[in-house]
Amino acid sequence: MKTGIVFSSSYLHHQQSETHPERVERLSYTMDQFIEEGIFDLPEIVLIPPKKATRSEVLSVHTDKYLSFLEEASVTGGMIDIDTRIPPGLIGDALIAAGGAISGADAVLNQDVRNVFVLCRPPGHHAGPDRGAGFCYLNNAAIAVRHLQRRGMRRIMILDWDAHHGNGTQEIFYRDPSVLFLSVHQYPFYPGSGQIDEIGKDEGAGYSVNMPVHAGSSDQVYSYLLGEIILPLAENFQPDCIVISAGQDNHFTDPLTGLALTARGYAGLMHEMTILADTICFGRLVVILEGGYSVEGGLPYTNLGIIAALAGLDLSSIREPEILHDLLNRSISEMAMPGAIRMAADLKKTLRPYWNCFG
Amino acid sequence: MFTGIDIGGTNTDIAYIDECIIAKKIPNSKGFAAAIREAPSDCRLAISTSQALNHLITGNGSSVRTITIPGPGLVYGGAVKGAVSPRGEIMEPIDTEEIEHLLRGCRADAIAIAGKFSVRNPMPEEIVRDIARQFFDDDRIAISAPLGGLNFPARITTTRINASIKATVVSLIRMIGKNHSDFRFVTSDGGLCGPERAVDNPSLLYHSSPATVALGARYLSGKKDCLVVDIGGTTTDLVPLTDGKPVLAPLFVKGKRTMINAVVADSVPFGGDSCIRDRLMKFRSANARAFGGGEPTLTDALNVLGAEIGDFCRSDCLDRHKAEEAVSEYIDTIAGIIHVMDPAVIVGAGYLAPLLIPDLAKAARTPYLVPDHAQSANAVGAAVSRISMSLHVHADSQRNILTVNGTEYPLSGRMTDDELVKYATDILINMARKEGAPSGDLHDIVTSEFSAFTVVRGGRAQGRITDFVISIAPGISVEAP
Repeated sequence: MKTGIVFSSSYLHHQQSETHPERVERLSYTMDQFIEEGIFDLPEIVLIPPKKATRSEVLSVHTDKYLSFLEEASVTGGMIDIDTRIPPGLIGDALIAAGGAISGADAVLNQDVRNVFVLCRPPGHHAGPDRGAGFCYLNNAAIAVRHLQRRGMRRIMILDWDAHHGNGTQEIFYRDPSVLFLSVHQYPFYPGSGQIDEIGKDEGAGYSVNMPVHAGSSDQVYSYLLGEIILPLAENFQPDCIVISAGQDNHFTDPLTGLALTARGYAGLMHEMTILADTICFGRLVVILEGGYSVEGGLPYTNLGIIAALAGLDLSSIREPEILHDLLNRSISEMAMPGAIRMAADLKKTLRPYWNCFG
Repeated sequence: MFTGIDIGGTNTDIAYIDECIIAKKIPNSKGFAAAIREAPSDCRLAISTSQALNHLITGNGSSVRTITIPGPGLVYGGAVKGAVSPRGEIMEPIDTEEIEHLLRGCRADAIAIAGKFSVRNPMPEEIVRDIARQFFDDDRIAISAPLGGLNFPARITTTRINASIKATVVSLIRMIGKNHSDFRFVTSDGGLCGPERAVDNPSLLYHSSPATVALGARYLSGKKDCLVVDIGGTTTDLVPLTDGKPVLAPLFVKGKRTMINAVVADSVPFGGDSCIRDRLMKFRSANARAFGGGEPTLTDALNVLGAEIGDFCRSDCLDRHKAEEAVSEYIDTIAGIIHVMDPAVIVGAGYLAPLLIPDLAKAARTPYLVPDHAQSANAVGAAVSRISMSLHVHADSQRNILTVNGTEYPLSGRMTDDELVKYATDILINMARKEGAPSGDLHDIVTSEFSAFTVVRGGRAQGRITDFVISIAPGISVEAP
């Protein structure tokens, strides 16, 4: 089985302003890296064109009022917040991003590919049912999850490893026990939510799992949380499909965040997730790009690491160039790992009433 | 006078075009130099070396040692230390001691050096090449930067091809240079290139036959929209032409993608030399009996049915019924493919075209044309072709660098997109003129794959990165008679 990449040049269209962090340049070097590596010639890879999401697909997640607001503001331009302006024509780009997530999910469900990486822009995980925020307009991952459920998948697990808490996605599924939402994020940090006691409500109680980590958290921290929290919960929940909100802003070169993950660390995480997916849900894995703002030093290498892991390629040369090694060493905090151990212990205690694996 | 030479598998074709066309066929047994001497020294000479190089590339050939400089990313064989970023910045230096140690014990015939993103900065490849020159002749060393475009695996494959054929191309150039101070080679897209460019990127000369024949057939027939059916010794190539142009696509050699852009041709493994055993076989064992071979072939079958090709009496050992069956099998197979392609008209080329094309056209229910000199369409195509050239342009205004096929040019100030394209066009035109392109052949310049974005650092726009390909498309020279 192959790995899909959902991409089209329309993902290089959206731009809030020339200098905004979430700009075209984010994917330019990544695409150069992919083309230079001959990724699209590999027999393991299939390029999948994104479709445009329909209104009804968007309305499975967002309110009609909010969608109408985006449509109207897209005519002349508008603003949600200072970071999230609406340039004219935004809705077309946002629908292609959400549609790409659906195209990726369809390719996995149709068994055209084993797993898929949706390299879409703009990102989505801060967008809630009735509002956008933090560079996000439509929640691409949530729209893909609802689409998967419409096509018969009952339980979906979302792992959001963007450096920022996926508050929009959490809000959408906060009362929903069919979706297990896990987020590893820098804390304290934008958007301010994502503490361990945010565990969901009503029937959804226990189905939102937050792993706030300190600035300077390295590959070691993420690997620890994978083993202690993420894998046990996934095996306990037994999802039909795993969706990953893949923010690449945990990389140690990212200018907006303070984490210290490496490209190899990302590749390793994704490799573990492919093994998990193979074990519990027939390899079904839909990976959707969220943030990531280290356009030159981070994204080309992390995105390549992710696609290499998904496609089962040799990861031994996925690494950073030597010139960045000093910066990496300076980025890692010695306080982060002890903090993560304490946080994981507290989190297990909080979740114990809901999950056997922590009993 | 326009002179074209096509070195085939068995014969070398020569076409002289002035007010009329004179075509000659010289057996390769007489030596290629004999064919070169035939061409007058003051003519405009273009040579298609396709068959000779095809044999070298697809055969076992010479042993090539590949040195790759991949840096971070996927895994490649022959890797040494060193890395270049997508923007062309050196991220890890070459370890010169590592290279010297590696080459000191190397017993390969040639060295292929390919670095990831070398087309954005060729320096690491050049450092390795300079060390390699201490151990190998320059005509046995190839680097990947002149190939121009991104695609590291394809550049590795193509650089290996270049390393394996560079010495042959260099000696060919020396040999031709003894009689002709001014000549050009036919390239895989059917255009022409000068000897200097051929040495930088010998793969340009590979697989030029289908393009050359298509161009010759187009010139001889005057048909712009047609299907050229070239009946060769080992294959029959079907090349569709739209508005006089064939479709070009990256070529795969031994299953691997290369940076060679070649004419898309439907190649059927039936030709005049296809041998006849129980039936018409899809391979060649030797020449037709009519040309000194031992086993009967499709050519011999045609002789048995009334043609008088070569020493046609030697074809008589073939049973008439078997001959009819062989020709029928050929016609049915090729006509079936032509029928599906549904061309407006088919134009025949190749030695057997006058004998087979009428029956093929009838079976495919398609109009046909076999122009005069169809047997030498390859040499005619070489003679009338023009300089073609493709440059991959990458401009980084923050770093004030313009790279054109891996060579750096100065870039001062921030140019508009139009100014940048004009700058690159001037570079292209100058390069084409240096190779002898007349002004009239420099109008068909095409810009493709254009992309541009702003470089932002510290919240401020610091520059702009622009990529595009600029090309002079192959075609017939305006000066062709």
